[in-house]
Amino acid sequence: MSLFLIAALPFLGAILPALLIRAGRNASSSAAGAVSLLAFIGLLLNAPAVLRGEVVTAKLTWLPGIGLNANFMLDGLGLLFAGLILGIGLLIILYARFYLSREDPMGQFYTYLLLFQGAMVGIVLSDNILLLLIFWELTSLSSFLLIGYWKHLPEGRQGARMALAVTGSGGLAMIAGMLILGNIVGSYDLSVILQNKALIQSSPYYVPALILILIGCFTKSAQFPFHFWLPHAMAAPTPVSAYLHSATMVKAGLFLMARMWPVLAGTEIWFYIVATTGLVTMLLGAIIANFKDDLKGLLAFSTVSHLGLITMLLGIGTPIAAMAAIFHIINHATFKAALFMSAGIVDHETHTRDIKRLGGLRHLMPITFTIATIASLSMAGIPPFNGFLSKEMMLEETTHTLWANSHYLLPVIAVLAAVFSAGYSFRYIAHVFLGPKRSDYPATPHDPGPGLWLSPAFLVVLVVLIGLFPNAIVGPLVESATAAVVNDAHPPHFHAKLWHGFTPALYMSMAAIAGGLLVLYAHARLERGWLAARRPEAKQIFDSLMGAATRTSRVITDTLHDGALTRYAAIFVLFSLSLAGYAYFSGTTVTPARGTTDASALPILAWVCLVGATLCVVFFHRNRLLSLVVMGIIGLIVSLSFNYLSAPDLALTQISVEVVTIILLLLALNFMPQETPVESTTGRRFRDAVLAIGGGVGVAGLAYAIMTSNSVFPTISEFHLANSYKGGGGTNVVNVILVDFRGFDTFGEIIVLGIAAIIIYAITEAILSSRVRARLLNRKPTFPQAGDAHPLMMVVATRVMMPIALMVAAYIFFRGHNMPGGGFVAGLIAAIAVIMQYMASGFGWATERQRLPYHGIIGSGVLIAAMTGMGAWFNGMPFLTSAFGYIHLEPLEEFEWATAALFDLGVFLAVVGAVMLALESLARYAWQPGIASEHPMDINPERDDALDELQES
Amino acid sequence: MIQADLNIILPEIVLSVYAMLALVGAVYTSKDGLAPVLTWVTAALMFVLGIWIATGSSGTETAFNGMFINDGFARFSKVTILFSAAAILIMSQEYMSRRGLLRFEYPVLVALAAVGMMMMVSSGDLIALYMGLELQSLALYVVAALRRDSVKSTEAGLKYFVLGALSSGLLLYGASLVYGFAGTTAFAGIIQTAHHGELSLGLLFGLVFLISGLAFKVSAVPFHMWTPDVYEGSPTPVTAFFATAPKMAAMALFARVMHDAFGNAVADWQQVIALLALLSMFLGAFAAIGQRDIKRLMAYSSIAHMGYALMGLAAGTVLGVQALLVYMAIYVTMNVGTFAFILMMEKDGQPVTDITALNMYSKREPGKALALLILMFSLAGVPPMLGFFGKLYVLRAAYEAGLAWLAVAGVIASVIGAFYYLRIVYYMYFGEEGDALDENSSPVLWGFLMASAAVMVLGVINMFGIEGAAAAAAVTLVN
Repeated sequence: MSLFLIAALPFLGAILPALLIRAGRNASSSAAGAVSLLAFIGLLLNAPAVLRGEVVTAKLTWLPGIGLNANFMLDGLGLLFAGLILGIGLLIILYARFYLSREDPMGQFYTYLLLFQGAMVGIVLSDNILLLLIFWELTSLSSFLLIGYWKHLPEGRQGARMALAVTGSGGLAMIAGMLILGNIVGSYDLSVILQNKALIQSSPYYVPALILILIGCFTKSAQFPFHFWLPHAMAAPTPVSAYLHSATMVKAGLFLMARMWPVLAGTEIWFYIVATTGLVTMLLGAIIANFKDDLKGLLAFSTVSHLGLITMLLGIGTPIAAMAAIFHIINHATFKAALFMSAGIVDHETHTRDIKRLGGLRHLMPITFTIATIASLSMAGIPPFNGFLSKEMMLEETTHTLWANSHYLLPVIAVLAAVFSAGYSFRYIAHVFLGPKRSDYPATPHDPGPGLWLSPAFLVVLVVLIGLFPNAIVGPLVESATAAVVNDAHPPHFHAKLWHGFTPALYMSMAAIAGGLLVLYAHARLERGWLAARRPEAKQIFDSLMGAATRTSRVITDTLHDGALTRYAAIFVLFSLSLAGYAYFSGTTVTPARGTTDASALPILAWVCLVGATLCVVFFHRNRLLSLVVMGIIGLIVSLSFNYLSAPDLALTQISVEVVTIILLLLALNFMPQETPVESTTGRRFRDAVLAIGGGVGVAGLAYAIMTSNSVFPTISEFHLANSYKGGGGTNVVNVILVDFRGFDTFGEIIVLGIAAIIIYAITEAILSSRVRARLLNRKPTFPQAGDAHPLMMVVATRVMMPIALMVAAYIFFRGHNMPGGGFVAGLIAAIAVIMQYMASGFGWATERQRLPYHGIIGSGVLIAAMTGMGAWFNGMPFLTSAFGYIHLEPLEEFEWATAALFDLGVFLAVVGAVMLALESLARYAWQPGIASEHPMDINPERDDALDELQES
Repeated sequence: MIQADLNIILPEIVLSVYAMLALVGAVYTSKDGLAPVLTWVTAALMFVLGIWIATGSSGTETAFNGMFINDGFARFSKVTILFSAAAILIMSQEYMSRRGLLRFEYPVLVALAAVGMMMMVSSGDLIALYMGLELQSLALYVVAALRRDSVKSTEAGLKYFVLGALSSGLLLYGASLVYGFAGTTAFAGIIQTAHHGELSLGLLFGLVFLISGLAFKVSAVPFHMWTPDVYEGSPTPVTAFFATAPKMAAMALFARVMHDAFGNAVADWQQVIALLALLSMFLGAFAAIGQRDIKRLMAYSSIAHMGYALMGLAAGTVLGVQALLVYMAIYVTMNVGTFAFILMMEKDGQPVTDITALNMYSKREPGKALALLILMFSLAGVPPMLGFFGKLYVLRAAYEAGLAWLAVAGVIASVIGAFYYLRIVYYMYFGEEGDALDENSSPVLWGFLMASAAVMVLGVINMFGIEGAAAAAAVTLVN
């Protein structure tokens, strides 16, 4: 049968039990069994070829872009594991059929189980490490579902979560290791990787790759210090524990270590990491298992211990040790699965797994007793069972191995572990089955039907047979698997027998058994000591680690994201500054190509004013009015410096804009409190100051660098200077740019300006129609208001100035094309002329006399500009092409006409309208019809009371 | 001449004209009453445009003297943008209508933002870049503050706006420096001047400031500060929108600028981007652990994911860009599904965002719980979900570009990050019984959730062919 089919069968079949559950529990379990059986038969069909030493492969290109191929291979190692997975899987399916109660959703269970089985088979058959990774994580996932199958138990939840967190994370770490490995070799195919031992071990990335892969293996196989999740996963239903946590999933880590053995093993670092971890795990697991009262807890820690044993053997790195490891994998799978199932039977029949509440079951449950006893004795390493053989091989191996030049360390610890191992095995028999019969079992125990005991019985038969005839039954398989592990067609010959003569291993075995009996005898005393001792509880450590992570995370988020915009901005600026620093130190420095101009008294004075005013803004910014005044000074100096640097146009524009914006801001102050409250601490202000100064210095430095270096390309100024008169008919280049060269930009800008004004109008309209207005009106002024709302002097002056100002605006407008000025500036000046009336004579007075709606003015401005532009179409020219000519009318002098002037008129109107609309919107809040502005002048000759006063005097 | 140029940008023109017509049309008719229809029409139009772009011209065309580039890379990004924006619009409609949030401006703003994004990914010039970016950002600022009566929403919008303006300023500053020292704003011109080792200091400054500005848009650490606040404060459909199309656009723009304009100076930006990637991955992974609000959690998740995408960019190779595109496409799909689920989370008709509300969710709605489980595993990058392949791509790209340390760091970050995705799964399957969420059966949301989860699983077969498309797109960008 094709390997694809073997790997795919469990996945394809997973849907069957879920569907067939409607046809009954038997149909569902039969379907699951049939699927497993079919895959198992498929595997067996391939077995002869593999045992002959061939490697069966099946290749399919999947995602070649990332090196992921659906390549499968079957060698001795794969055959061994696949056989275990599918074979024990079959037994478990049978067992679970009778174990699960009527209320449990059985279809779901078998579906998960088959998914898990498929993932496991996938792991052991993969010839591509990325494919292997996928199956690897798939086992974590499906095991998560299986462990959490009994959702009503709180331990089940905890256990599932911890198992997933530990094994899932380990798997992710392994991804990195696999990536590194694949990159060292240049292929992700195992068959290629396994041929490149020298290349991998000489790579500088060997150690990180090794460690990352081992993290994956150790977490999966519950090796110290990741061993703690396995006992907690025992809350799962017993079939799951028997399948996942003894025979298959926890062996995936071992499988991978064995799989990678040819290229990763054999180095010192491999030995010290893997063998030591295995040794520690073996001893620790064995000790703890003695003091677990939960049957499954005991078995879980014993599993941890045995996994440690196999890990240690793989870590030793010799072919013989590898062979012992392989042999023990088989043996452990048989006796441990049988033990789990027997524990399940006890739990099922007595309704408790607490050893303290059990005992004396041997007469009540004779079949179970027999099964459990044989399996336990095998676990303890008693001849003639298979556990004895492999434990003997292990002990033998330790005597040949040096650990840090010590002959004794490894054997002594191994014997010690074996002592405790025998101890808990005996305890399992003695405290559960032997002893007096009790009267307080939670349920009356009796042997179950054959459905439950058949599976473990079968395994126990294997335990005995392998123990008696090891070479005949598993010899070829062990040899073939060892050949695959050591990547050598001729592995050491497998020759296991019960009697070797008086070897060191035999003495060690005897010592272990004797010690085991002693441990059992002294159990009560040892347990008291154990319970009294303070020991690190892995689960608590795990929980507190998780808690600490959560707290750290909270601290990070709370300090970084405290919601304060200032902090965000500070981090933003700080990082930008450091990036700039990085750029500065990694780039080439520029030598100034141009000198600086000489500093004369005037610019220095202006500079001092500018800096002084800026500092004033910083220090007095809480007083809004004052800071506005100071900002006005800054604007003034900037305008002056434009003028000084020969840009009168800019200066003119800047100063008009300054005036308008300051007035706008003044009006906006009405909506705000007078002062900004002090919210920031001194420390924060200091931080801000440092950042601001850093930023300022950096920008200044950059500006200096740019101004003193030669431009890398000719500037565009030349073009404009040459073409301004010729093409646009004006000598004021700035204005020609605005209305001609870049007329389209300007057109867009006036539209934007108009929109902005209308938005200000809309927003203030919305605000003022709400409760806000009343609140603003009722606000008590901080300072006493001047009694004289409309001072006579100012009213008179502004009224007189109005026509003059408008005249100036017209003048500026018309001269714009050739001299500094233009529609924009003119618009601002005209607006200022009108604003003066509002300010001096009051809102009501001015509105009564200004009857043109500002919306309309904006619109007409935009329309005029647009129509001017469109006029060009009639001439067959593109939009906004300007034309100009000269008119000579007696007695006037010759003067120029230009369509640009019409366009400029549009700009003028749009600016006037926009500025006025904005100002009017902002100023309107305090105005109510009929108040405040009734008497714009204090002395009104027509006023009644004034008349009265006159008459009286 | 202009005819040919206009032909190239026809999809953009269609969408902008549509947006303007829709805006004016809605104002003069029934306003918000028209919003549901408008939402669906906009989504349909985007979908059609996406199909049109995907099946339309192949090869590389430029318009307006190279200011606008229509190449495979741009098309790949545009299709992703348009499809995800359309999906989010459809998902929003019911949710927002029910809460009275659906104003007619919403679909119009999304359409305008989409135009901006299309412009971004096609820009071949700093000016075009800025125009697209601002069009997008301005629309997003408004959308973020859509719920005007909510203090949180407006605060988020304001923060986003202020910081966004700051980043725009930085970007512009960088652009002007680049212009000053390269003498051109066209990417094709800049790349002539910007050779590694000969980069003048000014150009280098320009480069890092451009990166800062762009990093803000992709919400890379430490320019990510706005993300959690905006994600939390905005109405959930808006959050969903933020998490998808704009991220794709900003990331594509980032790649576009780095490769088209500074492709000869990879070494100069590689380290900076690698640092941004590293910080984003770790902060995203770490900070999310403490979150209980699923929207904030998704914000940190998106920060972490942007870190991975940036890892692909940092590689500076064809494979890197391919990885980036694949990663983003997968990321967007996952997020559509996840947000479809979040949109369904409500109790007594009120939206719920606390993850403890998911306790034992699997018992009540096993289908939806399973779909979310798949999405969470995919977000965590656990094989065999599609999310794993995205991660694998970027890790490989980084590793092969000599950034092995970054790849290893990326894996460590993903291990940390897996924690909080798994916690959601844990709550759903093993939490304690608590107040149940409403049984919300919106067929649209359900459909998106299921489709997205199905994609995550079925995608492993051949990734729906995006692998090849992304490879072709990447080649057009890197040369």
